Amino acid sequence: MTVPEPHRLHPAPDSAGPPVRVRVTAPRTSARPSAGAFPVTREMAEHSAVGEVFVGSLIRSQLRLALVVAGGFLIILTGIPVLLGLFPSIREVTVLTVPVPWLLLGLGVYPLSIACAALYVRSASRNEKRFQELIDEG
Amino acid sequence: MRADEVGDAFGLNPAVGYAALLLVALTTLLIGIYGLRISRTTGDFYVASRTVRPWWNASAIGGEYLSAASFLGVAGLILISGADALWFPIGYTAGYLMLLLFVAAPLRRSGAYTIPDFAQARLESLPARRITSLLVIVVGWLYIVPQLHGAALTVSITTGLPAWVGPLAVVVVVCAGVMGGGMRSITFVQAFQYWLKLTALAVPAVFILLRLGVEGLPVTGGGAAFTAGLNTTAGASLYSTSSLVIALLFGTLGLPHVLVRFYTNPDGASARRTTLIVLALLSVFYLFPTLFGILGRIYTPDLAVPGASDATVLMLPGRIFDGAAGDALTAFVTAGAFAAFLSTSSGLVVSLAGVVSQEFFNGSVRGFRRAAVLSTLVPLVLALLTDSLALAGSVGSVFAFTASTLCPLLLLGIWWRGLTDAGAVAGMLAGAVLCGGSILTAALLGPEASASPDWLRQPALWTVPAAFLVMIVVSRATRGRRPAGTSRVLARLHTPEAPGPRLAGPRTEPSVD
Repeated sequence: MTVPEPHRLHPAPDSAGPPVRVRVTAPRTSARPSAGAFPVTREMAEHSAVGEVFVGSLIRSQLRLALVVAGGFLIILTGIPVLLGLFPSIREVTVLTVPVPWLLLGLGVYPLSIACAALYVRSASRNEKRFQELIDEG
Repeated sequence: MRADEVGDAFGLNPAVGYAALLLVALTTLLIGIYGLRISRTTGDFYVASRTVRPWWNASAIGGEYLSAASFLGVAGLILISGADALWFPIGYTAGYLMLLLFVAAPLRRSGAYTIPDFAQARLESLPARRITSLLVIVVGWLYIVPQLHGAALTVSITTGLPAWVGPLAVVVVVCAGVMGGGMRSITFVQAFQYWLKLTALAVPAVFILLRLGVEGLPVTGGGAAFTAGLNTTAGASLYSTSSLVIALLFGTLGLPHVLVRFYTNPDGASARRTTLIVLALLSVFYLFPTLFGILGRIYTPDLAVPGASDATVLMLPGRIFDGAAGDALTAFVTAGAFAAFLSTSSGLVVSLAGVVSQEFFNGSVRGFRRAAVLSTLVPLVLALLTDSLALAGSVGSVFAFTASTLCPLLLLGIWWRGLTDAGAVAGMLAGAVLCGGSILTAALLGPEASASPDWLRQPALWTVPAAFLVMIVVSRATRGRRPAGTSRVLARLHTPEAPGPRLAGPRTEPSVD
């Protein structure tokens, strides 16, 4: 008497020749969530009405933050050519023979962008921490 | 001037060139092989199993991003256009600020491997995924072509070999590296190459400045280096400068080889930290091409002709040092330049191969390898059929195209609930047709600046808003097609990963504050 084996994918070794090799692949369209994702928080955020409100306000505050930082940076950036256009005499000012426009564009913009980025990283993490605390309380 | 002619006109000691190229190619392959020994799973191939630390990852992003256009092109442009060219490195760097602000953490949290995956997960639509894949592939191919042009120029100048040898060598080394180890080994290679590129410019720069200082030779010629009289191109208009900056700022967001790197971060917070470090690394790097460009205005003014200006970085050390010292420093910059083509091309090939193999080869490791070959052959043919005039310029066009197509998809997909698949597809196609059409028309009208108007040559300022507008209007008109899972997906993109027990993988770095 044989026991039925419904879960075996391959034919039994004695049935017909060597077992067939099966490649197990999947279309990689949805990766696993990032390591360390703690499902309970997300579960809460995704499935409760309160969670949805919290998520909505988190998204809005992150977007506002990003727009403010981007806007500030772009205003200063466009301010450089505008300033040089309004006061052409600045172009004549030199530091160690290097004219001010070259200094501003070649050196000055980089610390500015790093400062904007650091400011954003701090504030964005703070927004997320606040959200986390709200969820943990609720 | 063709790459061969530049090589004939300004040929250097060929032995130096061979030595530098061989060294870089061998090191790249060795690190690739080392990576292969620890690449085991499909996840390793695609995203290094998401275990790359911020500093490694940031170096790798820097290594991958600093392409021929940065290493050779920026100095070349400063040589011919003076202060106007300074906007290029600003745009290349600040693009990462925009990436940090709008894309880095949410995209990491999306859990998708590639931009098409993101499109499908967000829009729940297969056609939207296909269109996105197509655009990613086009962008990748177009971006590899200037890298290969740069390789042609470098190899023919430094060794005197015909121009086709450079692109072919890059393609062979890249294919071998990518097929060997996939993303894991590429991460090591790229991180190494950022530091190689930085050293390759910094060491010669220090020696050059020391010598000029000690011997009392002119550094800036008492400010003469900065006079507009040295420019061989007409000054850029306000329109073309702002259009360029828009293209560079928002084009970086959509570059496939940049985005795929963010998936290798362990979580959203470390994706942000990584981007911040990248900004710092790029800022340090770009000081040197700028310096080379300024020195070039005094010591290599003869290169200020189209097609030859990109050789400034390669020629400068030999103009200031004679004999063995000059050869050694030239070898340094040559190695750096070759690293630039290799790293950017490998990064692009990895991300392209990821997309192509998922689309056409079921996403298996063997499919990834086949896709890698396919991803390098097409640009190789394109590069051999075309000539390059200025690297920074042609790369700028690719940024404009990306900014008009993939950037609106990412920004609206991440931040706007109202995006629909119909809107996304319409917007991307509109951007592709408008921007691609403008650039092609301008190219057909001829390379001279006077042959075509600014708005055709630098279309980003109007094509990017147009793409956004079409995407928003069509999405609003097709409100009924909003995907059912939008709220869930957006919550996933924006909620932080809570600190919890980790089941697998190493601990992540603590996030900043």
